[in-house]
Amino acid sequence: MSNTWYLYLFFAAALVFAGLLGLLAKRNLIKLLIAIEIVGKGVSLLLLSTGLAKAHILTAQALVVTYIVIEVSLVATALALIINIRRQTGGLDIRSLTRLKG
Amino acid sequence: MILQTALLAVLVALSVLAIALKDLLRSAIALALASLVLGIVFFRMGAPYAGVFEISVVAGLITVLFILTIALTKSGDEVRESKLANIVFPVVFVAFLAIDALVMKRLMGKVPALARGGEAGTFGEVLWKGRTLDLVGQIAVILAGVFAVLALFRQRDKHE
Amino acid sequence: MIILFVVLPLVVAGLLPLAGKASKRLLPDLLANATLLFLVAYAAVAGRALIADGPVLQQTTWLGEALGIRLVLDGFSLFMLVVVALVGLAASLFSIDYMEHYGAKGNFYALYLVMIAGMNGLVLASDLFAVYVFLEVAAVASYALVAYGLGRDELEAAFKYLMLSVVASAFLVGGIAVVYGMTGGLDFAAVAMALKELNAGPALAVASALFLLGFGLKAALIPFHAWLPDAHPSAPAPISAVLSGLLIKVSGVYALTRVFLNVFGLTPALSTVLLWLGAVSAVAAAFLALGQKDIKRMLAYSSISQVGYVVLAIGVGTPLGIAGGLFHLFNHALAKGLLFLTSGSVQRATGTRDLDAMGGLAKRMPVTAATNLVGALSIAGVPPLNGFWSKLIIIVALVQAGHPVFAAVAVLASVLTLWYYLLMQRKAFFGRLNETWAAVREAPFWMTASTVLLALLCVGIGILFASTVTTWVRPAADVLADGIHAVAGSWGF
Repeated sequence: MSNTWYLYLFFAAALVFAGLLGLLAKRNLIKLLIAIEIVGKGVSLLLLSTGLAKAHILTAQALVVTYIVIEVSLVATALALIINIRRQTGGLDIRSLTRLKG
Repeated sequence: MILQTALLAVLVALSVLAIALKDLLRSAIALALASLVLGIVFFRMGAPYAGVFEISVVAGLITVLFILTIALTKSGDEVRESKLANIVFPVVFVAFLAIDALVMKRLMGKVPALARGGEAGTFGEVLWKGRTLDLVGQIAVILAGVFAVLALFRQRDKHE
Repeated sequence: MIILFVVLPLVVAGLLPLAGKASKRLLPDLLANATLLFLVAYAAVAGRALIADGPVLQQTTWLGEALGIRLVLDGFSLFMLVVVALVGLAASLFSIDYMEHYGAKGNFYALYLVMIAGMNGLVLASDLFAVYVFLEVAAVASYALVAYGLGRDELEAAFKYLMLSVVASAFLVGGIAVVYGMTGGLDFAAVAMALKELNAGPALAVASALFLLGFGLKAALIPFHAWLPDAHPSAPAPISAVLSGLLIKVSGVYALTRVFLNVFGLTPALSTVLLWLGAVSAVAAAFLALGQKDIKRMLAYSSISQVGYVVLAIGVGTPLGIAGGLFHLFNHALAKGLLFLTSGSVQRATGTRDLDAMGGLAKRMPVTAATNLVGALSIAGVPPLNGFWSKLIIIVALVQAGHPVFAAVAVLASVLTLWYYLLMQRKAFFGRLNETWAAVREAPFWMTASTVLLALLCVGIGILFASTVTTWVRPAADVLADGIHAVAGSWGF
């Protein structure tokens, strides 16, 4: 099975990279969160395909389910933050968030 | 395997669309479709539970949350995205894909791996007997998410 | 029953919203603080006896069936549990008065206890993925806690913190997947043994790099520090104290050292990387702290600098260096917790965090000024306070291990630290009383009580440093100095 492992990894890497590029390029807060979701998809594909390659698909499946649950609670928190930011600043532009600087 | 590869390619294409599309609603839908495809990929990899979770929770629940947020926050204010990034980043992405395609197979050949026996039992057994601590973690993270949302949407009684 | 460290705060957190319905303040205050007090007592009193004959491995059973909950309590994890419980208790006592005007106290304590449960779970976990899961538990709770004030700065800081933190976890899971792909296991013991057998050079380097990126971001080592000076000052004071005092140490330093020293084994290359990361963070962040006008931002940069100190010491890899690093971690947790709490008292009394606007507050807030001085001198490393001894051990260890240059860097960082802390103390508390603050009064009872508690601990540990090191720090350092043998030999289930 491990001869197909690299194929999954190729696509997982593509997803993670697309997400990271999105994180760098986008300015809309919701877009940033979507980019994070794409990274998350890549990572869960990576986890599951690793389990497949090791013939440990059941364990990997358990890991992915946990990963998805974590993702949900993260997205809910982040969206609640975004709605609050929208109320405060009246926009969704990351550039309006420059009061604090590193 | 060809079908699986095609599905993965569609998944990447939908994900790129989700990031690149201007309209937020459309990109949320593209994200949901990407999750759907990923769920099918999981299913075909022999991980039906992960597939079901991906489809019901990520493609379903998370999409609902996204669309709800988009509806709550829209009011005609457009965020102008950087023009330069729109030109440069696709080029970088294509270059990355090319490198990825060239090196990934060889890279994987270099990873040393222990041969280990497969696992026995059912998914339920693995989850309950093998990774129960993760379930405690799941409960904790759900609690964290619920309290976080409650805290962020609470009524400020005195302040303000 | 070491699983209580995770389950008890979770159960209480689940009950708190209901308790908050019954009584708005008293019940949440009581429940949360009682829980933490219990954890302190359990860790500090019963913990030593538990690990007297080696690490405790606990597999939970439910109705006679063995479950997959495998927790390990050894010297290192017990040490971290004590730190978490102590600083957690102090910050939660402080919250009794401080969080009064934020509203929804039950909700606040619920998030707080979930964060504590996440940290405890991380410390007790015995496999890589569980480390990630509990790291996320603590992180999700901390995003909401940073934003708890719902002001513009808080929200901005929380969102940026979330973004970087999520990227860090993606790297971590990537690293975990690479290790999983090589060894087919996630358990610390299984991974450690398999890696020894495999002798995987380059692939392990890739995994190490991913882990270093992830944990480095969590620990806010320079150059991965950008989020910390925003997130830590914006949070409510007790949360700043816990984030700076505990969270970056548990999800950054603890996880990093546990994985690198006990599971991967410290290679010379890795040791060099840690030394450099630590040294750069210690010095650069100290310089950055010097330039700050905002008292909490100064403290935040100081946290980066002191975590750099800890990583520098652990990077040495000798038993003495590790002991020094862990002792400094302990001292910094107490002292930085204390300083963030006193800065909260000052902010609450004056409504500002700007050092230039303060001045002469010692006349109005004598207890706060005194405890702040203790914390500042402790971190700066003035004898006989606790911070002095840990810095001394670190510098001796660096010289002994043949790194005189890094020792000199450590001394330089210490001098800089003393400089900006004196600057802070003088600008805020000494000198002529600024007319604006004529009506300022000492902080309420619980706020002063918790700072006095931490200050007494700083002084007490400074005086009794030898016995603290032998009772608490040594067992922890021994586990780490043992390298992969500590895990591979005795952690099998």
